[in-house]
Amino acid sequence: MIPGVSGVAAVLPFGLEALRAAAGDTLFYYALSPALKILALLFLAILPVITYLVLAERKILGFLQVRVGPNRVGPWGLLQPIADVMKLLVKEDTIPSRAVRWAFVLAPCLVVAPALVIFSVVPIGPPSATPGGLSGFVTDIDTGVLFVIAVATIGVYGLILGGWSSNNKFSLMGGLRAAAQMISYEVPQGLALVGPLMLAGTMSMVGIVEAQRDARIWYVVPQLVSFFIYMVAGVAETNRNPFDLPEAESELVAGFHTEYSGMRFALFFLGEYANMIAVSAVATTLFLGGWLRPFPSVAWLSPLDVVPGAIWFALKVFVFLFVYIWFRGTFPRYRFDQLMALGWKWLLPLALANIFVTALVKLWLAR
Amino acid sequence: MSAPNGSPEPGSDRRVDPLFEGEEMELSFGPQHPATHGVLRLNLKIEGERIVGCYPIIGYLHRGTEKLFELHPFFQNVPHTDRMDYVAAATNNLAYVGAVEKLVGLTVPPRARYLRTILAELQRISSHLVWLATHAIDIGAMTPFFYCFRERERVLDLFEHYCGARLTLNCMRPGGLPFDLPAGWTDACRRFYEDFPAKIDEYEGLLTDNRIWKRRTVGVGVLSPEAALDLGVTGPMLRASGVGFDLRKVRPYEAYGEVEFAVPVTKNGDTYDRYLVRIAEMRESTKIVRQCLELLPATDGGPIMAKRPRVLKGPKAEVYHGIEGPKGEIGFYIVGDGTPNPYRCHVRPPSFMNLQALPDLAKGHLVADLVALIGSTDIVLGEVDR
Amino acid sequence: MSAWKRFLDRFLLLDLFAGLAITGRALFRKKETVQYPEERLAPAHRFRGMFRLDEERCIKCNLCAIDCPIDIIYIDWHQELNPATGKKEKKLDRFDIDLQRCMFCGLCEEGCPTEPKSIWLTTKTYELATYDRWQHLYANKEQLEGWQGRPAYTDEEIAK
Repeated sequence: MIPGVSGVAAVLPFGLEALRAAAGDTLFYYALSPALKILALLFLAILPVITYLVLAERKILGFLQVRVGPNRVGPWGLLQPIADVMKLLVKEDTIPSRAVRWAFVLAPCLVVAPALVIFSVVPIGPPSATPGGLSGFVTDIDTGVLFVIAVATIGVYGLILGGWSSNNKFSLMGGLRAAAQMISYEVPQGLALVGPLMLAGTMSMVGIVEAQRDARIWYVVPQLVSFFIYMVAGVAETNRNPFDLPEAESELVAGFHTEYSGMRFALFFLGEYANMIAVSAVATTLFLGGWLRPFPSVAWLSPLDVVPGAIWFALKVFVFLFVYIWFRGTFPRYRFDQLMALGWKWLLPLALANIFVTALVKLWLAR
Repeated sequence: MSAPNGSPEPGSDRRVDPLFEGEEMELSFGPQHPATHGVLRLNLKIEGERIVGCYPIIGYLHRGTEKLFELHPFFQNVPHTDRMDYVAAATNNLAYVGAVEKLVGLTVPPRARYLRTILAELQRISSHLVWLATHAIDIGAMTPFFYCFRERERVLDLFEHYCGARLTLNCMRPGGLPFDLPAGWTDACRRFYEDFPAKIDEYEGLLTDNRIWKRRTVGVGVLSPEAALDLGVTGPMLRASGVGFDLRKVRPYEAYGEVEFAVPVTKNGDTYDRYLVRIAEMRESTKIVRQCLELLPATDGGPIMAKRPRVLKGPKAEVYHGIEGPKGEIGFYIVGDGTPNPYRCHVRPPSFMNLQALPDLAKGHLVADLVALIGSTDIVLGEVDR
Repeated sequence: MSAWKRFLDRFLLLDLFAGLAITGRALFRKKETVQYPEERLAPAHRFRGMFRLDEERCIKCNLCAIDCPIDIIYIDWHQELNPATGKKEKKLDRFDIDLQRCMFCGLCEEGCPTEPKSIWLTTKTYELATYDRWQHLYANKEQLEGWQGRPAYTDEEIAK
């Protein structure tokens, strides 16, 4: 019997309770429950959100461009993602004859998997009030932020491998661009995260949100600069306009996924959108107070607390996603060398200066 | 693990990989590439992403138009000219019928001259709109494309109401015009030119001051005035390099002598300046259309076609007539031999001449700039290959 | 622009926000899309679309075939005695237009000497796509005459 678990059984839904009784507490709390959460998160939250994000992007882009976007499949085009997925699933999957097969097959998986793994440490709701109850995250590890940065880095291998193994010059150039871009933007992105970490004094994602609650302010206010750097680097890291160089369709045809078709292409697509959501989710957690309601310190807004934390979280993430799409609808694309210059010459010094200033202020406050 | 590119060299079991062995990589850019505006093919030699050599290969859209001209009587060739620069059919028509009129010796009635000027300027606007839309989308700005096509659609509606076609207009005949204006056309046209400057402000708001747009275009592909003149570059490309040569001013044809307009000229000759010149030209075109519409009522009910025989016979003579098309000087060189067909007809296409500048412009720039440069030369492959 | 303003501009990204404002405004503007099969734009009165021939008016002069720049009009006729008038009249055997090659330039209509024209393109019909390449693309005499110049879909068909 795990301490503190007794009496929790009432909280669990009946089916889960039966499962717990059958499997035993240890197995249930350490293996089955996380596995169920992961599956639920993946198939009930992330994948549907991604597919509908694609629809939302097409709709919003359409509205920005004075047209209506997809509206033929189902009412307001609501079934469009399903049609898209069906089409991609049944489409012929080609592998170029001189491609390096194993790398070509591996690359899309390497893009998708890390993007999905990030969600395991992102808290979409508060920890359960009662110990052992359902908390709003899959796991809360002490080095959560570090884990996010580390896992996000793996995604670049997928792009490089995909670009290189296709045996296509455009793909190769796209892969090289992706590698250079992601490496150079990971540095300012990582450094931008140091600011909130210093304020919170913890690397746990849950801990950071709780620190914001205790500090009674979202970290976007004291860390505006690092928020800005994180956003720019995040757009660059997810290869979105105006930094969508690796797949710049007017320059490199389709960049690293020129030769991909069918479900393999869909995986790249999935990876890109999962990354978008992941970056937005991390930004929400670190800068916009995660599941907290707006203005957590203002008492008369407390009626807003009836809205579950997960809803607040989703709303904040959607704001980020909307801004992503808005950028795509507005800006031209940077050139490769300009992009690198922006990253190394502007964002990196700015991030370092931000850390320095934050440290000074923190020291001065602690004095 | 061998590298994926390259093929085995005969007599060697080692794979020679041009990518990693040498300094340069050859890249075939087009003809099926999204940014080549049709079927232009460029053989690029690149070092990393830097272009060290650029060799345009043309002819994928060759239809033998010049030979077709010889096979048909003068008036039947007008539809063929539509298909050369297919985004600017009216100016092609105008250049061709102008050459035929010069050869045969026809005087165009004033009403036809005003109408032709209006059509040509509307065509310039629509051609520049297509250029701006595709240029912006090449540089990655997606939205101006839709905004530009929204206005272009209105211009095409005007054409449709005038002559029944939207793209391949066939709207002029040697000696004049086939139709007079339909009722209500002038009002529609007035509504268009009154709204249009605000729309140009909208495009400019998205692009002109945008720092990303500026970084992508300022200083990219600088064409010096001397080089521009040497290469025979005309039109907005020449004027962006600081040479204020515009056939509408230099050799006024149609009604251009009677209207006031400025010829926008800039100094730097880079992609950004070419963009500014074309934007300014759209504003000037709007003014020309307005002035011509004001001059038009005086000729109401007047003839729109010169007195001419049904079958035109070209005398034994040679003429050249060039006009200022949206892309540059479009000229027709026609040799007559006393028959109803031209003996020879040569086209001086602005796109073809302007394309000659591309290898010079592209050298030393990145692949991403090449896309911007192809856009800023504003070529139409139907005209390059004919 | 003063140095101070340039400095501010560099950090405040005003130009980028101006662009965002323009696209943001478009978000709420009326959309330009025409929902094609349900909504149709009416072609202009002079719109050059599908052909129509009136055999009664046609004097079989061949001018349209001569004026065609790509020679896609084929006309055959024979002389026939009209018992009512006792005069010989031309009867059309064949009036074919190879619509696969037609570029709708309208020169045939312009060349037609009858008044009103015996061949005209202003039928306001632009939906010429067919599943069978010989179905409409090679228009013979019967097809050209039977063609009523109606829109490809009637109102009832659209309503369905």
